[in-house]
This record gives sequence, structure tokens and C-alpha cells, in this order.
Amino acid sequence: MTIRVRPISPEDHLTFIASRGTASFLQTPAWAAVKSEWRGESLGWFDGDEMVGAGLVLYRQVPKLKRYLAYLPEGPVLDWSGDVAPALEAMRDHLRTQGAFGIRMGPPVVTRRWEAATLKAALADEVLTRLGDVPADYRDESAIALAGTLRSLGWKEQSAEGGFTAGQPKYNFQIPLAGRTEEDVLAGMNQQWRRNIRKAAKQGVEVTEGGRDDLVDFHRVYVETAERDHFTPRPLSYFQTMWDAMTAEDPQRLRLYLGRHEGDLVAATTLVQVGTHAWYSYGASTTAKREVRGSNAVQWQMIRDSLAAGAEVYDLRGITDTIDSDDPHVGLLQFKVGTGGEAVEYLGEWDLPINRPLYTAFTAYMKRRG
Amino acid sequence: MAFDLQIRAADWRAHLVATRDAHPAIVPVIKGNGYGLGRQRLAGEAFRLGADMISVGTYEEAAELLGAFTGDVQVLTPWRPFSPRVADGRLIHTVSRIEDIAPLAAQLPGARIVVEGLTSMARHGMDRHSITEAARSIAEAGLVVEGFAIHLPMAGANLPEARTWCAILETSALATTTVFCSHLTVSELEQLRTERPNLTIRPRVGTALWLGRLDTLEVRSTVLDVHTVQRGERVGYRQGRVPRDGHVLVVAGGTSHGIGLEAPRAVAGVAGRGKAVAKGGLAAAGLALSPFTIAGKQRWFVEPPHMQASMILLPEGVPVPAVGDRLPAAVRYTIAQFDAITEV
Repeated sequence: MTIRVRPISPEDHLTFIASRGTASFLQTPAWAAVKSEWRGESLGWFDGDEMVGAGLVLYRQVPKLKRYLAYLPEGPVLDWSGDVAPALEAMRDHLRTQGAFGIRMGPPVVTRRWEAATLKAALADEVLTRLGDVPADYRDESAIALAGTLRSLGWKEQSAEGGFTAGQPKYNFQIPLAGRTEEDVLAGMNQQWRRNIRKAAKQGVEVTEGGRDDLVDFHRVYVETAERDHFTPRPLSYFQTMWDAMTAEDPQRLRLYLGRHEGDLVAATTLVQVGTHAWYSYGASTTAKREVRGSNAVQWQMIRDSLAAGAEVYDLRGITDTIDSDDPHVGLLQFKVGTGGEAVEYLGEWDLPINRPLYTAFTAYMKRRG
Repeated sequence: MAFDLQIRAADWRAHLVATRDAHPAIVPVIKGNGYGLGRQRLAGEAFRLGADMISVGTYEEAAELLGAFTGDVQVLTPWRPFSPRVADGRLIHTVSRIEDIAPLAAQLPGARIVVEGLTSMARHGMDRHSITEAARSIAEAGLVVEGFAIHLPMAGANLPEARTWCAILETSALATTTVFCSHLTVSELEQLRTERPNLTIRPRVGTALWLGRLDTLEVRSTVLDVHTVQRGERVGYRQGRVPRDGHVLVVAGGTSHGIGLEAPRAVAGVAGRGKAVAKGGLAAAGLALSPFTIAGKQRWFVEPPHMQASMILLPEGVPVPAVGDRLPAAVRYTIAQFDAITEV
């Protein structure tokens, strides 16, 4: 079997993703437009004339050099259960000709899952401090074996120790929606979540979908959230670029939800959907009127709409691997566990150095930058 | 009267009782040569101690001791499809691989099992992340879970690892609250019980129970013959030269008793390693210290031990024992085999 990799059009790229049911939104052609500071390229994997894989590569330039780290966030989209060596070698050969000194990818492969009940018990137990300590409810032997295969092909796993890594999170939180009704999902939530959703409805919180013009309102609340939660907000233009790029690809790709109480915007969120996978991506809420539970209301509306739109997974994105009650990150997990979903471990991000001295220098530089 | 073990029974049993009382829910371990004391004897003692369960090493040992002990018998070696088939309602199997669950259930429907976790020993056991899948398979196969087992190493403090495993069990889908564990001190066990009131911690104890008070055990070898020798005289199977004037003693106890056999010792530290090298050096020169003590000192072998007797060199000037005299001997109990064991 000879696999060849060559650039493809965004249309072919999208068609392939559609034929596969879903892919990470970081692997859509639109994402290259969002990350406009890097050059993006759609790649196709071909077995003869048949397209068997697709990927979005972001080329990150080394300062002052015409050399790049080729990054495929949460990709590429391949059949990871088969013999991956020919596909990865073909990718390396192509990226080398494009001036890549190294490749970073995140195979979209799930290795382990932990259900909400298990997580709840683990969170309550002081002895267990890492998700990896907790017996998983499901594990995929062949996905775990893939790590060994990648290692033997010269790939190196990027450490995900401690909090979030610089790249995409290895651990995510997801609510399975396949084969479930709204009632099922609600029944799976903990009491507090259900109470908050009911409370928001009783208080008269109204959730509506917004358009591009409403991004200004979203951004105002988002900046307030950033100040409260001590993170650096992205500029409004970032969200406008994202809106333009993603909705051009598919009008339903990115949606904005606004939760209002008596006319005041109290919570705003964005929802991304690619095929059967929906992601809660950005969330914001005001400090005032927290008691009306606008956040729960917009979440619930996004979950219901995802279900109605045929999503099989509602993704609350990254969590850290900590379940230590002393760790400030644990609150995020506790909040997500309340939805009754599950923690999902991916294979993580892997690097293949092509030009070793440059790769070493670049990773050292990135580490210093933190 | 040959190569014998004498047990000071009252003191030994007092130690057994004290050990049992210090280890609530103790599971006596009876395996191998029965720690030199014999499996049957230990099974009787376990019964006398009121134990409801014993642990044995292998299915062969289990088959034998089911007849000597009225309680449950746990097999420490995990079940494999090639394990001898022993069917008995009192038998408890160890399961350490998911793939063994269905075949075990097919061979022995409704069998009782303990699930073993893969500790830092890295010997047998399941990875923590397979436990949930195992629990599902076990339920499906209709096996009865009697507990969860962890076999811990002997080096250093084991409490942190035991603690983690208890938390793992409590978080897992495995339907049991019993933990079998080894190599924890009495205070570590107490600590664990305090931290995990929902769990029943059952220590599996072998060496500390049966050989916890070596002063109650006396190994004695009988002097079978005494010869006067002169320096340079050739003696023995190998016709080696005697290095000095003195006496050659032929004493009961050879390789068939475990004399001269040695399991590689766990050596720690520089001094220990140095000693081992020194001993090895002497062994290389054909000289080795025997386990037999005469006039308060361990004496040298004249040549490697024979099957049932050993030849010892006694230098000139040391009082010479007579034929029929008894000599104390220091043995490794786990490889020792006695002609007779008597209680006094």
C-alpha cells in the first residue's frame, strides 16, 4: 500500500469530513482562517485515487527563519485503528518539503473514559489526586497500543503533567447524547444542575440566539468574566474573524447564545458543531444577577439544540488531570461532573522532530515562553 | 535422630496467638515447604488459631490442604487455563487477567474469586484501568467476588501504595469491600482500617507468623562419625587436601535437607555486597562456611555437602564432639527439609 499526501482544496477537505460524520473543529478549513497568524494548508491522504484521510496543518514559523513547526491540532483525520506508519511517513515527507523542522499532531483517539459516578466517588476520595489513578470505566486497548506504535516510529509524547499544556487538552469532558432524550440528559445531571436550570426558567431567564452584531454584547460580558477569573481576554476582532470564517463554511458551525433576565444580558456562550460533535467553546457571565443562573440556562439550551441538531456528543472541552481537592482546577471538573457526562482521555499531542537541532531549539524557546 | 527440628511448642504457639491477635482477620499463608515446618502441621495450627481461611501457593497445595483444613482455601497463584482443575466450594481462586474470567467460569461455574491488582511488584495482577471491565465480565460470567488482593513488595514503606489501592477499589465498580494484602506492619494495617472504615482489611501473613520467633525453633544435626586427620591428607568424594591438623566430622544434613543450598540473598548496601563477594571468593576457592555450629562457631565444610550428610573440619584444639552428639545448625527455613520435627 502506497499512501500519498498532497494539498487539497477546502471543498474536498470539507466533503471528506462530512463523509466521516465528524472531526474536531480545529481540523476544519475554517480554522485556518481563524488562526490567520499561521499559514494553513488542507492535506489529503490518498490510497491510489481514493481519499483516505484529511488534515489541517498550521505552519508556525521559527523567529527569523523560513522554517516551521507543522501543527495538526486534534488531527489528522485518519483511520487510526489500522497500520498508521505509511500515512504518517507520507505526511512527514510532504511536510519536510514545506520547510517543517518538526511535526506536532493530536490523534483524535480516545484511550479511556470515566463516568460521572466514578468521578464523583474519586473526587470525594482524598487519596486519589490524578485522573490517571482512578479506575477507568472504559479503555481502548488498541488506542493505548497506538502510543507504542507512535513511539516506535520516532514520535514523542508531549508531557501533559500538571495543568493544561500549551497545546490541546489531553483530558476533556463530554456528555454523550447518542440515543438519549432531553429527559435522559436532565435525569443524568446532579441535583444542583437540575435545580439551577429550573431556577433560571422560573426567574424568567430568556435564551436567544444572536448574530454577528451581538458579538459586541457577548464580548463585553466576556471581558468582565476574564477580569473576574483572571485570564487574558481575546479581542473582539478574534471572535468576529471566527464568526466570519466558521459561518461561511456552514451557517450552523458557530452559534451565539445570549441569556437575558429582564432585558439584561447575564450570560453568553458560543457553540460549535461539526457533524455529530458539538462543543461548548466560549462562556461568559456577569457578576451581577448570578442568582438567576443564566449560565445554566444557556448551557441547557445549547445541549437541547445540539441534541435536536443530531449531535451525539456535547463537549465541554478541557479539564486538567487533577482530582485533588486542594487544586484550584478541580472546581472546573466538579462543575462539569454535575452535568452527568464523562471524562475522556485522548492519546495526547505527539511530536516528530525532522531537523533535530532546530526542533530542540524551538521547543526550548517555547518552554521559556511558557 | 538425624537432622531434626525441635519446636518449643508452648512458646511458638504463644507467638502464633499473639500474631493472630495483632492481625485481626488474619489469613495464614501456607505454601512451599510450609516454611520448613510442613504444610500439614501449619494447616492444623491455622485451624487451632480459629482461622476461617488460609492462603496456599498453588493448586497442588490447595488440593492437599482442602483435606487438612475445614475453612476456605485461597490460591495465591492466579488461575490460568492450564491450572490443575480443583473443584471445591471452599476454594477461592485468584484472577489477574480479564481473559481468564470466561474460561474459569466455563470450567467452574459460580467459582469464588479474588481479583488481584497489579502493584509495584509487577508480578501478577490487573492494571487499575481494567478493573471496571473485569467487574463487568465477572458479573456476566457469574463468578462470585470474595475480595480484592494486592501483593506488595517488602522494600520500604508500603502504606502509600496500599492506601492508593484501597481508594482505587472504593472508586471502582468491583463489588467487594474486602482487601487481602501482604507485607504491611500492624500499625500500617491499623492506619489503613482507620482511613477505610468501609473496607475489611485482611492481612495475609506467612513468615511473620510461622517464623516470627526463631528462638522457639531449634535445628539439630547428629554427629555420625569423627575422624582424626593431618594436614595435607586427602579426604572426601573429591579427595581434597585437608588444610590443617584436626578432625573431620561427618554430620547428618546434606543437600536433601537443604544444606548448602542457597537462594540468592537480598543484599542491601555496600557492606552487604562486600560480604557477598568475600563469601563468593571463598566458595570459589572450594571453601564454604557450613551452617553447623561447634563450640559456638560456624565451622567450614571440608567439601560441598553430600546428599544426606556433610563433612566438617574441626581444627586442632577445639573440643571434639562424640558420635551421637547434637549440633545446632542455622538453616534457611523456606528450603529446609527435616528428618523429624518434634515438639517439646
